[in-house]
Amino acid sequence: MNTEATEPTARKQAVWDLPTRLFHWTLVALIGLSWWSAEEGELDLHLWLGMAVLSLLIFRLLWGLFGSSTARFASFVRGPRAVLDYMRGKWTGIGHSPLGALSVIALLALVGFQAGLGLFSSDEDGLMTGPLANAISLGLSERITDLHGDLFDVLLVLIGIHVAAVIFYLIVKRRNLVWPMVTGKAALDPGTQPMRAGKWWAALLCLVAAIAITRWLIAGAPPFGG
Amino acid sequence: MHRSLLTAAALIALAGCRENPEPTNNVAANVAAPSFEPNAPSAKPDAPAAKPNLLGAPVSGEQAKKLMHDRHEGMEDIGDAFKATARWAKSDNPNVADVHEDAAIIARLAPLASGWYPPGTGPDVGKTRAKAEIWQKPEDFAAKMKTFQAEVRKFNAAAHGDDAAAVIAAQGELGKTCKACHDDYRAPEDEHGSD
Repeated sequence: MNTEATEPTARKQAVWDLPTRLFHWTLVALIGLSWWSAEEGELDLHLWLGMAVLSLLIFRLLWGLFGSSTARFASFVRGPRAVLDYMRGKWTGIGHSPLGALSVIALLALVGFQAGLGLFSSDEDGLMTGPLANAISLGLSERITDLHGDLFDVLLVLIGIHVAAVIFYLIVKRRNLVWPMVTGKAALDPGTQPMRAGKWWAALLCLVAAIAITRWLIAGAPPFGG
Repeated sequence: MHRSLLTAAALIALAGCRENPEPTNNVAANVAAPSFEPNAPSAKPDAPAAKPNLLGAPVSGEQAKKLMHDRHEGMEDIGDAFKATARWAKSDNPNVADVHEDAAIIARLAPLASGWYPPGTGPDVGKTRAKAEIWQKPEDFAAKMKTFQAEVRKFNAAAHGDDAAAVIAAQGELGKTCKACHDDYRAPEDEHGSD
């Protein structure tokens, strides 16, 4: 198929679909705003942001099953052998590298856990409580709130590693990973299998389902929960 | 002795100012002496206030320490009782009889709060989340205290009636008065959890 290897510059091809890019940058904004709102004591806003993060993450999980090829977990979550191969330079492909995938999974898991803890958290005066805080004891809710605060520092470390890796690629390996996450396109090595795009209506369905699942969780996951 | 105490206070203030945009050790000097002079030997905490003080007569020494302790315990008790009323208000079928006791605890403690903030009990004296702004804006602080106490009385009265909706509404109004003061006059919680 794409055998124009004689071309001086490789052609830019799709690597990230629009839903994945929107997810990424919206999550960046939401995490920044969540941090700010917590520091400023804007807990009303913080709660809404948390629910937005939760919806967004559930969307990403669904899009990881039904989305474009590079968004699918099955395409980028690999075993340790693939990670080692990648580190030895024996990896060709598009999307998340086997090593980068670990960072993606860790970030998604921690952000998801944080959002989950937030549902059970409460402020120190009992004025603002997560939607599920009243389902557990006050003491447990306060311990969860402390954990929610402490784990954010861990999240900041993970984000720091993520950003450091991107900077490492930019400076040492001379590859800009940020721009493809903006435009969706990158110059691929000839012969690399391009992204198989997902369906727009699948993205829409995933979003609707994500919001519905979030609402259901906030309501205490009836009829199983409170 | 006096000097070492001041140094200790300054160190405590410095240790706590990592999160605080304004260095609390300067504020401390402002509170103690109306005119700010660095290292002024006259910066004794019991110096007479320039104008009649709404928050009571200045205290020092053991009296200040005891008051700050009582204040902490009292606020904690009010907080615990208030949190119980908040959970009650959000419960499925709130029964007024179940909020009666916590409302009474708050109503008993709230009037005491008027005596908890005399000059000399600020962050320059010991470990407290009470901000120096309390003694810089005593009129505003006293007004907010008064509103809080008025809402406590309304809430307690409602909690002794039988209209759950009225109790819930009064509980919400009371919560706003807690927040109004805490937003302006309470420093953030120590991140290392030793309060």
